[in-house]
Amino acid sequence: MPQYLVAGYLPDDFDPSQVDEAVGREIHALNKEMIAAGVRKFACGLGAAKSLRGQTDGGVLITDGPYLETKEHIGGFWILECADMDEALAWARKGVAATRGQVEVREIFFQPSTD
Amino acid sequence: MPQFLVAIQHHENYDPSLEGEAMIRDIGALNEEMDAAGARFFAGGLESPSHAKSLRKQPDGNVSITDGPYLEAKEHIGGFWILQCADMDEALAWGRKAVVACRVPVEVRAFLKIRPNRESLGHGDSQ
Repeated sequence: MPQYLVAGYLPDDFDPSQVDEAVGREIHALNKEMIAAGVRKFACGLGAAKSLRGQTDGGVLITDGPYLETKEHIGGFWILECADMDEALAWARKGVAATRGQVEVREIFFQPSTD
Repeated sequence: MPQFLVAIQHHENYDPSLEGEAMIRDIGALNEEMDAAGARFFAGGLESPSHAKSLRKQPDGNVSITDGPYLEAKEHIGGFWILQCADMDEALAWGRKAVVACRVPVEVRAFLKIRPNRESLGHGDSQ
């Protein structure tokens, strides 16, 4: 079964304390619906970021903060197992409604195995 | 055990067909090392950003779907690991190895602990 990354984006100044209870309830209900449908492999909300960049001398520089200098960043994501992109998009639509946010869907096309 | 996202950052012009044998070997060895340490919960490479779909809420309540990535950036996540580590320092140590193996920058982020009610929160395998 193909897997899809369904990522929700949040503005940098997003304040979780301002999220009303209805949003939390709807996200929770959507998670339950995903579990009942057997599509949810993983779900998470993301915290603070560290960025790691390779240096010309072979070292690795670690800095606080996200790697991309953009006004929005991934706030959390689902990994869903769906029949196809259309099914993933149908869940993502529900994700937009529940989170009141913007969502991106990408297929996970390669999973390294060490077996 | 806390989990961490280690996200690989690829330039928009990144061409996976140019990955050399040494790099593929290094990444394979890193995955094996993560498995042996019991750290690798999930690993996946993403289809190129041009194949992404972006969903935006419209003022009228509808949702528009467009082709392409949501962020207008020159770099995008090319793949990622979800690792189980004792703390951020341990995750950063894996992140350092990922930078060396993949020859690109990575970003490490902790997961928030949001709800006490985490029924069946994706106890998937790490294939």
